[in-house]
Amino acid sequence: MKYAVLVCGGLDKPLGSLAREVALSAAEEAECEIICPVLLNNSPGRYEAALKDLPLAVVDGCGTRCATKLATKLELRISRRLLLPEALKRLGETFEDSLRPGPLARQLARKLVLQLVADEAEHETAAETAAVVFAEPARFIKVTHDKFVFLIPADGYLFNENDCWVQASGNRARVGISDFMQQSLTDISFFDPPEIGREVEQFDDLGSVESAKAVFDLISPVSGRVVAVNEALADTPEFINEQPYTAGWLVELELADFGADAELLLTPEAYAVKVKAKAEEAST
Amino acid sequence: MSDATFMGVRRDQIDWAPSIDYSKCDFCMACDEFCPHKVFERQEGEIKLVVANPKNCVVFCRACAKTCGPDAISFPAKPETIAAIKRIRQDGGEAE
Repeated sequence: MKYAVLVCGGLDKPLGSLAREVALSAAEEAECEIICPVLLNNSPGRYEAALKDLPLAVVDGCGTRCATKLATKLELRISRRLLLPEALKRLGETFEDSLRPGPLARQLARKLVLQLVADEAEHETAAETAAVVFAEPARFIKVTHDKFVFLIPADGYLFNENDCWVQASGNRARVGISDFMQQSLTDISFFDPPEIGREVEQFDDLGSVESAKAVFDLISPVSGRVVAVNEALADTPEFINEQPYTAGWLVELELADFGADAELLLTPEAYAVKVKAKAEEAST
Repeated sequence: MSDATFMGVRRDQIDWAPSIDYSKCDFCMACDEFCPHKVFERQEGEIKLVVANPKNCVVFCRACAKTCGPDAISFPAKPETIAAIKRIRQDGGEAE
């Protein structure tokens, strides 16, 4: 798939140089269009056509995430994102500490482009998981605090204290964030998913969700293997706010040992007590 | 926060908070601006930012490290923290 690639402008940093190599590879090998952050910031109209025709991919050189923040400021929808330190970790690679990228950096850039634009494997896996049924919650526990109401499914869901839920179905499970957390984050603009096939331990990171207000690490309530991510969220991240327990699910896993994991999780009733306490603490 | 618990264990028994590598930190304050739990505190002098309230840190959250451009923030090894939490729970821990 072709993307408009908004790239880190870190000319004075090695990973900024690598980000530029990634953008060049994306342009050369995947026919993507490069978006310069400086020009976009000064004259957004110059890229109007590209941003209208192509989905946006963002390459951030470091945790400052200048490119992501610029896209958010301009209210551009991000379809794909590469945060280079994390992407390098996934590849098990390190980067030569130089502002002038050598042949090794160009090889690395080609591998990183695959992470940015390749998504066929995910589609295959998503199709494979389509047969698993996850029932919608039939009733909810309501936690009220001031004018706020936080819903918690009364059956079929377990929670960790990091405000993530898990719903198991056979040897599969879906994971998402609770109504309390989505209300705390306010309008969610982006879900940064984990890679398909990754093995996770209970309480490992499973990607993150971002709003204008905060970045929230999804902490896995269960151990297992990532078999699918909710691809609909690339176009409609607002599902996480609107339907946090159903259409706004984030990751699907093949469970490793749900029985053992469940011992460290909260029932809906116990989570309701936690939500009440957190809401009270947040307002003091 | 002294009465706070996490997974039935008193928060002050759990070793989980960021550490700042001052050889890398450029005091941009992105982590402090990000963290809503007041874990960090700014101060005068050469060291302009410290981890002042480690027990306010949300156990297993490492989101502040992701805001750090120079990669100066690290956390304890998660498996060891989990093992310690399980051990305390088995030993009786704290009532919820």
